[in-house]
Amino acid sequence: MKKLLKLSDIAAASDCLCHVEPGELSPLPFPYDDFNQSVPTPLKPEKMKNVEASLDDTVAIGIPKPAGREEEEALVHQFLSGLKKLFEKENNWTFLQPLLLSMDHCARCQTCSDACPVYEMSGRQEIYRPIFRSEVLRRIYKKYLRTGGKITAKLTGDIDLNWKTIARLAELSYRCTLCRRCASVCPIGVDNGLINHEIRKLFSQEMGIAPKEIHDKGTIQHLKAGSTTGMTPAAAKDSAEFIQEEMGEITGYKVDIPWDVEGADILLLHNAGEMLAWPENVGAFAIIFQAAGLSWTMSSEAAGYDAVNYGLWYDDVQFSRVAVKHADIARRLKVKKIVIGECGHAHKALTVIADRLLTGDLNVPRESAMVILENIVMSGKLKFDPCKNDFPVTLHDPCNVVRAMGIVEPQRRILRKIAPRFREMTPHGVENYCCGGGSGFAIMSGYNFAEWRNLVSSRKKFLQILKAFENEAQDTPKYVCAPCSNCKGTIRDLISYYQAEERSRLYYGGLVELIVNALDGMKKPMIRFGEKPSWE
Amino acid sequence: MGFYILSYCCIAISLAAAARLIYKQLTLPMHVRWEIYPVQHEKAQRAAYGGSYMEETDWWKTPYHTSFVNEFKYMASEILLLSGLRKENKRLWRVSFPFHLGLYFMLVSVILLFIDVVVTLWGPSAFAEGRVLRTMMGGLIVASGWFGLVAGLIGSLGLLYRRLADRDMQLYTTPADYFNVVFILVFFLCAFLTAAFVDPLFDAAKSYLLGLLTAGTYTSAYDPGQNIFGAVTIILASLLTAYIPLTHMSHMFMKYFLYHKVKWDDAPSRPGSAIESAVLQNLKYRPTWKAKHIGADGEKSWRDIASSFPKEMK
Repeated sequence: MKKLLKLSDIAAASDCLCHVEPGELSPLPFPYDDFNQSVPTPLKPEKMKNVEASLDDTVAIGIPKPAGREEEEALVHQFLSGLKKLFEKENNWTFLQPLLLSMDHCARCQTCSDACPVYEMSGRQEIYRPIFRSEVLRRIYKKYLRTGGKITAKLTGDIDLNWKTIARLAELSYRCTLCRRCASVCPIGVDNGLINHEIRKLFSQEMGIAPKEIHDKGTIQHLKAGSTTGMTPAAAKDSAEFIQEEMGEITGYKVDIPWDVEGADILLLHNAGEMLAWPENVGAFAIIFQAAGLSWTMSSEAAGYDAVNYGLWYDDVQFSRVAVKHADIARRLKVKKIVIGECGHAHKALTVIADRLLTGDLNVPRESAMVILENIVMSGKLKFDPCKNDFPVTLHDPCNVVRAMGIVEPQRRILRKIAPRFREMTPHGVENYCCGGGSGFAIMSGYNFAEWRNLVSSRKKFLQILKAFENEAQDTPKYVCAPCSNCKGTIRDLISYYQAEERSRLYYGGLVELIVNALDGMKKPMIRFGEKPSWE
Repeated sequence: MGFYILSYCCIAISLAAAARLIYKQLTLPMHVRWEIYPVQHEKAQRAAYGGSYMEETDWWKTPYHTSFVNEFKYMASEILLLSGLRKENKRLWRVSFPFHLGLYFMLVSVILLFIDVVVTLWGPSAFAEGRVLRTMMGGLIVASGWFGLVAGLIGSLGLLYRRLADRDMQLYTTPADYFNVVFILVFFLCAFLTAAFVDPLFDAAKSYLLGLLTAGTYTSAYDPGQNIFGAVTIILASLLTAYIPLTHMSHMFMKYFLYHKVKWDDAPSRPGSAIESAVLQNLKYRPTWKAKHIGADGEKSWRDIASSFPKEMK
């Protein structure tokens, strides 16, 4: 029997705090039961000798091991300095009130645990419990920063603070997808997702510790090159030209992607990953907007053609820089509003979070593409033939669009109109489960992290998808509609990892692809199951 | 007189601690939005599935509107029936609900006793001893008091059992958490024994409150020294009153901020609004974060930093 893990073990000098044994993860049904003994491929000791990897079976950040005791102590000191700043208005006005409320009022009732897909799917590994990392931070805070904390710690929960504690806490903050399902079920209103977000911030903003995919290759590259994909403005325009040609093949007429049109009604912001991985999504938007006769534009300015804002997941300063850049581009283009394409975190970042950051003429109105698409589809301006979408369709709800923004029905009203075999997942809407790629996981793939994501954090979504299609024949093609780039990437990886295209004929894509597929008068279908697109 | 002084001090501590907590919340800077849907002050139709005003085209052209009725309906069921816990964690609800109900009815009993005492001292003749209204009030006090004591006793015993027996809860329960539950359990137990053996109609409780309101000068004021259970109950009730706002149990009233100021705070920032002014103030703060890419030096403001590029790029 496994040893019962206690909170205080986070400071213990072991090589691995939590190891998942084969068969411990939640079981998958036939024909995926051969994966039930799978666990992440063990990390190679020779590769890990200089990297902190003592939390579990994977590594998200890859923090270099300190050279000696002195350096460890300096890092502990730095951590405490950052922790103090989290509770100062000068440093953390952005989240101070929510953080204080969540730190002070948890009743440790564990209602959050059952809501967490990572905890549940991991076979209920203690370290993945939503309260585990919050309680570690809470105890450190009370013991080391509150007056008399070292005396009262025996009553309020003791914990040792050493480099192991800190290194593990940093890694642990990247085992939660920030889906905030835990927060939505807390009867008191405590938000463990928020505490996790604040832990990430502390490490980034004070200690410069963050996964390279979201910092160096993420926000830094975004501000420097223009996109987290590394795509420059010239490359973005080249991609668009290629997309126009491809869409012309589908529509039978010329499709235009307008660039830098001053005074246009709409500035459309796409996740630039779409241009590279799913150009048909960018093209489908262009087809729909053009057919509906909208006045719209894209921006070719650096950062203006990439809606992402990875700062949302780990760093308020980086977040602010990207949000200001987006708003400033819209302001200078003199557009009436920004419309955010199928990218969930970009929705929340620019519409909700940046709302209390952008002032004056930077506060350009921002709207979800779901809303404008619903308007177009329901207006009767365009003619649809739903029979073209006569295959089973289910909808994945991106957490940032539903739970964080309350945009739930527009995408459903569209699907009910154009996809006759649409069915919901259970649960759905604001009670949805994360795809498992939230908060940066979708783009993090160092060491064996992608495998951990497929096996653990995305497992619940995979089960949900299988359940939604359980009454369909194996050889019927099935479409998972995921109107978010990161969710789509995660589902793509899931399908590939579990060979679900071969075993269940499972396919995925966005919402606009379905809309265009049902559009009357198209020369070719947009969705062609099993056919490799020309750009691959 | 010592008992009265203890009660006065505890009430003062309780009020001061609650006021301090609330004052702190009211003076914190406005934070960024971090709401979670469903937001219950939305239109009923939208609140039912968790929709928001952002589902509307050009939502910024419509005045921001919140429905107090929808919010009230939800809050009433959340506060009185703990409906959220019932939905998400029924096992815990079975003990937490009677526990909270016990505390609510204790509070109701104190309020009724207080009204009774006020009318005894200064009330019109319709409330005189022996009149119908007064008898009804006495009946309500007895019903509410007994119901609260029984529910509270069952609930606190159940909560203690759950914390001890449920492995998941036990692992995270601190000595302070056990102390809190045991404290409340002992209070309910003492109060129950007092009511059962000494004061079944709560006359002594009434007399104590009379004494409390008149600083012990009223002729029929209760002397707690007459009975050990009564004395312990008064001491525990007083200490509990002071203790609750000093612990996480202050969620009794702080839940207002957790819900209204975070979970449901979806108010958009409009040009020239109070929200925008608060944001402008916040942007003047001078952070001191140390990571290189932040570029903070304690002199540059949030506005300067947000409109600059990270150092790694230079």
